Amino acid sequence: MSLDTLYTAETPEGIALSLRPAGVVPRVLAYMVDLCVRLGIYLAVSMVAIPFGGMGKGLLLVSYFLLEWFYPVVFELTRAGATPGKRAFGLQVVMDSGLPVTPAASITRNLLRAADFFPFLYAFGLVSMLLRRDFKRLGDLAGGTLVVYRETVALHGELPAALATAPARALAPQEQAAIVAWAGRASRLTPARLDELAVLAGSITPDRQGDATRQLLGVAQWLVGHRGEGRR
Amino acid sequence: MTPLLFEAQNAPLWKELEAALDRAENKRPPKQRDKTAAKAKLPPLDGARLAELYRRSCEHLALAQARAYPIHLTQQLESLTQRAHRLIYRRHDYGLARLKQLVLVDFPQSVRAHRWYLLAATLLFALPMLAVGWATWRDPGFILHLADAQQAQEFDAMYDESAGAFGRTRDASTDWQMFGFYVMHNIGIGFQCFAGGLFAGVGSVFFLVFNGVQIGGVAGYLTARGHGENFYSFVVTHGAFELTAIVLSGAAGLRLGYALLAPGRRTRLEALKHAAGDAITVVYGVIGMLVAAAAVEAFWSSARWLEPAVKYGAGAVCWALVLAYLGWQGRPAKGSGAPDAG
Repeated sequence: MSLDTLYTAETPEGIALSLRPAGVVPRVLAYMVDLCVRLGIYLAVSMVAIPFGGMGKGLLLVSYFLLEWFYPVVFELTRAGATPGKRAFGLQVVMDSGLPVTPAASITRNLLRAADFFPFLYAFGLVSMLLRRDFKRLGDLAGGTLVVYRETVALHGELPAALATAPARALAPQEQAAIVAWAGRASRLTPARLDELAVLAGSITPDRQGDATRQLLGVAQWLVGHRGEGRR
Repeated sequence: MTPLLFEAQNAPLWKELEAALDRAENKRPPKQRDKTAAKAKLPPLDGARLAELYRRSCEHLALAQARAYPIHLTQQLESLTQRAHRLIYRRHDYGLARLKQLVLVDFPQSVRAHRWYLLAATLLFALPMLAVGWATWRDPGFILHLADAQQAQEFDAMYDESAGAFGRTRDASTDWQMFGFYVMHNIGIGFQCFAGGLFAGVGSVFFLVFNGVQIGGVAGYLTARGHGENFYSFVVTHGAFELTAIVLSGAAGLRLGYALLAPGRRTRLEALKHAAGDAITVVYGVIGMLVAAAAVEAFWSSARWLEPAVKYGAGAVCWALVLAYLGWQGRPAKGSGAPDAG
């Protein structure tokens, strides 16, 4: 079982999309923001509506109803697929197939909020989210939806430039992948750590002396296809 | 093939796909923003070409993953295919035509598809209502099991001969305000009936029985107190929409609960998802019916100047229309086999 909570959705083309489900804390914070936005809208409506007497009060009650049940639906069906609160935290509601959320699913997940809220303060929803790797609350389970981070994290960058050198021995595919991955993380690791790891792979580099990092980066460049002077 | 060669060979294709995606998503790449005039002359987006580019990119992604190419390359392909996937499999059939289809065909059909749940919900609602109604009619004091004395006095006041409008106490305000109140309160009850189904149906059963008992108690009490005509002429019209809608949302909730209890050949989770997809169509209709009920209740039912006979007549028509709509609308035309759109 992998350590991270990536959720993979398979497409009809047979490729796996990775989605990054959002956990309890950002979702609770997003809910708080939405609560404030809803309160703001409600206050604005009430300031306009109160002078109109009975009809205004009617409007106020209807707007309370709409804000309570359909505020999230309206925003989830926009292109962003998220309420303002979710957008502020970089979240998005998608189907668990990775597609944009459908109206039916959005309505389902938001009407079943009532079940998530039960018995108080979203207790069931929280328990459900904490028990699952994909952090679905009850409404998400029934609607087949998922709250994910919009942006993917780029942990790996381009390989840093180095003079390509052939490795000292033939490398298994796994070893090749490990070296290329190490080089891809060069921008995120401290030089000391990078060097520490490179020394461990010392048996691969042709020349044992000198800068281990430089040499291993050279091997990585060779592996991705650069051919400097060292042709085999 | 080395990753470098792979990238060099296929990068033009990925660029083309990215440009096509940008166009389809109405995003102009920053460097071309000044060339809007030139862009306007571009031929329309070719869907077939986009699909081809997408499939080729999927192929490349699978290859890149299998060959353990550098992760930044795989990730770039992943995000590209993900965008294309979202665009290509997006559904377009929303709008008025879909709404028409929902009202004329899907909702009544889906109600009939849930007929056994509907029967169960009706019994859960009607039996307690009749039983408690009978009990309070025999002995009006029975109402005190359900409400305190002050509430009972309010029921009296609402349907008293001297009341300003039926169904509310004297200090309550205009029709519009009551409309808002009914929308908020009644549709909320409908949604709770549905959502309660998620707890193995227990919540739906509870709300159905609870509402049945309440309504039965009030009806029996008012009949026994001699306000029968005022009360029944008040509820008959909007009851056609409201009582049906409550029972329907209860039935939708029972569907969810049953899927969890008896998932059949699916996993419980899959069964729940499937059931929710079916049941939500019923809930769409419930929303419409409850809005109609709120409007009727606020503007028609409470009017004192209408003779009870008129209200009974209108009520009978509404009940007949609602039941006929749910029973027959959207059946396929005889012999044609195609769904009857009219």
